[in-house]
Amino acid sequence: MKIVVAYKWAANPQDAEVGPDGTVDWSRAKGAVSEYDPVAFELARVLADTCAGEVVGLTVGAAAIDTPLARKAALSRGLDSLVMVADDALRGADGTRIAAVLAGAVRAIGDVDVVVAGESSVDVGDRQVAMTLAAQLGWAGLNAVRAVTADGGSLVVEREVAGGVETVVAGGPVVLAATADAALPRVPGMKEILGAAKKPTQVLDLAALDVPAPADTIAPVSTARPDTGNRQGVMLDAADLPAAAAQLTAALRQSGVL
Amino acid sequence: MTEAVEPDFDVIVVGAGPAGSVAAYRLAQQGLSVVLIERGEAPGSKNLSGGVLYGRVLDQVFPGFADEAPVERRITRHVTTFLTPDSAVSLDFRSDRLAEPVNAVTVLRARFDPWLASKAEEAGVFLMAGVRVDALLTEPGPDGSPRVVGVRAGEDELRARVVVAADGVNSFLARDLGLRRTEPTNHLAVGVKTVLRLPRAVIEDRFGLTGGEGAAHAIVGDCTLGIGGGAFLYTNTESLSLGVVLRLDDLVRSGRTAIEVFEHLLEHPGLAPYLRDAQVTEYGSHLVAEGGAAMVGTIATHGMVVVGEAAGLTINSGLTVRGMDLAIGSAIAAADAIVEAVAAGDVTASGLAGYRRRLEAGFVLRDMATYGRAPKFLERTGMYGAYGELAADVFHGVFGLDTTPRRHLLGVARRALKESPVTVRQLISDGWAGVRAL
Amino acid sequence: MNVSSQAWVVVADDATIGGLLGAARPLGTSLVALVAGRREVAEAAAAAGVDRVVWLGEPADGVPVEAYGPAVGRVVAEAAPRVVVGPATDSGRVLLGAVAAATGAVVLAGASELSLDGDKVVVERAVGGGIALRRDRVVAGTAVVAVAPGGTVAGAAPVAVEEVDPGPLLALRVTDRRVTPRVGVDLGSAKTVVGVGRGLKAREDLALIEDLAAAAGGELACSRPLAEGVDWVGKERYLGISGQTITPDLYVAVGISGQIQHMVGVREATTIVAVNSDPHAPIFRECDYGIVGDLYTVVPLLAEAFRAARS
Repeated sequence: MKIVVAYKWAANPQDAEVGPDGTVDWSRAKGAVSEYDPVAFELARVLADTCAGEVVGLTVGAAAIDTPLARKAALSRGLDSLVMVADDALRGADGTRIAAVLAGAVRAIGDVDVVVAGESSVDVGDRQVAMTLAAQLGWAGLNAVRAVTADGGSLVVEREVAGGVETVVAGGPVVLAATADAALPRVPGMKEILGAAKKPTQVLDLAALDVPAPADTIAPVSTARPDTGNRQGVMLDAADLPAAAAQLTAALRQSGVL
Repeated sequence: MTEAVEPDFDVIVVGAGPAGSVAAYRLAQQGLSVVLIERGEAPGSKNLSGGVLYGRVLDQVFPGFADEAPVERRITRHVTTFLTPDSAVSLDFRSDRLAEPVNAVTVLRARFDPWLASKAEEAGVFLMAGVRVDALLTEPGPDGSPRVVGVRAGEDELRARVVVAADGVNSFLARDLGLRRTEPTNHLAVGVKTVLRLPRAVIEDRFGLTGGEGAAHAIVGDCTLGIGGGAFLYTNTESLSLGVVLRLDDLVRSGRTAIEVFEHLLEHPGLAPYLRDAQVTEYGSHLVAEGGAAMVGTIATHGMVVVGEAAGLTINSGLTVRGMDLAIGSAIAAADAIVEAVAAGDVTASGLAGYRRRLEAGFVLRDMATYGRAPKFLERTGMYGAYGELAADVFHGVFGLDTTPRRHLLGVARRALKESPVTVRQLISDGWAGVRAL
Repeated sequence: MNVSSQAWVVVADDATIGGLLGAARPLGTSLVALVAGRREVAEAAAAAGVDRVVWLGEPADGVPVEAYGPAVGRVVAEAAPRVVVGPATDSGRVLLGAVAAATGAVVLAGASELSLDGDKVVVERAVGGGIALRRDRVVAGTAVVAVAPGGTVAGAAPVAVEEVDPGPLLALRVTDRRVTPRVGVDLGSAKTVVGVGRGLKAREDLALIEDLAAAAGGELACSRPLAEGVDWVGKERYLGISGQTITPDLYVAVGISGQIQHMVGVREATTIVAVNSDPHAPIFRECDYGIVGDLYTVVPLLAEAFRAARS
């Protein structure tokens, strides 16, 4: 079985700088494996180990996503090999475009049975790209996945629904987006990181992938900082905590919220 | 003694700060296999400096580094200021001679450290990030004392001929082997720092700079609320590095927190013109070893050397605060000594003695000795209040024309001295001690 | 690619579509509901005040709505409406992904405002996990938007349900469904909530925060790192961009830095109190009352004061 883990190399928005006019500067923010993606690596590895499968990591983005540290960070998480598309033409690409490029790469890898992804990316957080990827491939897509096992030629997926858990059997290839707590990812140790250096990485050429050119359908109008509301911002004097507690309590009782 | 298991690497370097990365680079350049282990997800993520790197020593390793590396500004202006609640007396030195060859540069560690580590990678060093070393692997040494043969992280072990401990001021590795005890608090200071964003043009305007020039301000007096220490203000390309360094014992005695003192500094009217409209961003604190040469203990033992801050190599001379250049100097010395020792097949303490020899021959330990009296001098409390007031009074006597008849400078000084808690004897004693210590 | 002036909503086997209709109606000259799922959902949509209902037929036993992805994509692409609005839910996103793939459009999620400028859809939404707001105009092709589904809508004169052949479905089959017992905390209706974050050092220390919550007559909640990085508090208690959004009278944030991913879940609270040891924590810019201090000292004092005041 060939399992692809589609992950993102992205920066945490906390490290980005937002100007007073709402423009976002990501230049000082450092990329890393996106927060919830390690869960996908773990699920993929567990699945592969139960059926003698192979795990291929896949990520796409701007040229800067390909560094020795970035390769090790992925390959040390239970991958057998890594595939990347690292091209500055993808800088700022929207989710549908990213999904299209991922689909092109999955087709280029060939014979893929399942793609596993994290719940959402740390820097966008729309929970959408994995499902768009499924559609781009013409495959089924399932969200909120907690577990996946192989049963003959099918995949048996456990996914959360309102009020419970369903078991869904997929008769063909499928893209699965895992919940953020589907598995506790193991932390790569020295052994895994050393081993990572011995595993192959293939960088695919964006132009050679079978992906339509992006259509410019969105024009930016304006940006703004989020309205954080008019809060009072009363800082209580921490030098005398009992008095501060009393003052706070009185104020909260007064306004009726306590 | 049975032959040890074949090591995984010739050298394990723990900590990818300036000391670790330069040591790793220099070792790999000379043909050894090196792994550089960093506990942060990326080099620099867990590191903090005031921000000034005296770069000549790095030029020896990477000639012309200031053109290639992500440095902020090249310092051509040094200002030392005595601050009182309502006055500031400053010594302002600027010189073109400081620009070329490059002397001091400001850096931001989160950008600079990754560059240094990537140079090491280019030279063939295996960089391993996100791994925290838990323990040293040791075996009984030739004289009964332990011989370091590797490191352990979690359940994994890695073996090497030599381990370089470049793991910072709280060096876990140095303490694991008993080479450093917990320092007495008069050997330690706590540094608190923030980076404040300001547009490039505003910085250049406010500090009188053009192009990539930079200014470094050292401030003493009212800014530390009577606690031993001082403040610094450095210019980066589009931000300022502002911080305080406070003697830990003084701080504890005062009952205040470092954050309180820092907040006072942020709001000091003497600094307000520089900081107006600047946006506070990251904020961090760091312990600084200030014990001087007394703190540098054993830095080479069987199978291990200690470099950088882990070896206590920092200098606060009152006029300059140095850590990175000493770290780099020690890294060069250690790397060259290790290459020598590995070639000779002797990595015992005596085999690695070339490290200390090189440190003593170069500037590192000599400067530590030269400024050896600085910590003791800086303990004298006059620095932190009375002298600032005295100087301000003298200058006020000169410049404050209030229609009372004028005196000569000597008369002004004597009058100011009379009203100051400082005595002539103290002044002379401190002056004499100062010029011999700083 | 020319689009019509129609506004479409995609219904994913769930009749709670009030939010979809409210968002879509002002954006088109007619409102069309494309329903994947059971007949009863199609009939509910038909009585919700739409102009037309297109229904992909009754799913066979065990076929989940996700199997209709390609059908939804094809029908929407053929119709080329001005805008498609779908639910920001697990199955909704699957169908929206199909629309995106079929039309090439990006799915615009988290929209806080949708409007029409001439015949172009303008979307305002939070980006970067909530750190900034963007307003964009869709200048070409179909606009595809994901919004909260909302509640049920009824009472309009029902229109006909037009059944169309979905074509080949994806090979998915539900073989089992287990109800998981709800843990029984309803943060949505709690008047007071005490949230705890990374400032907490050990699991045992939760007792401290639980005590504060009890003293305030409220519920315990947490910011995401606590619930998922470290499993000390159940997932149903986390607040933020991928947890819950609450609107209590009083929200007390203990040891929470105020990261945007968390704040989006709590900013509608009437009053926010923050306790943190870092004076520069972002949360102090978004609170009504703030105390800079060690939570281990502050929390017990607050609990005592709250308890006394409420007794």
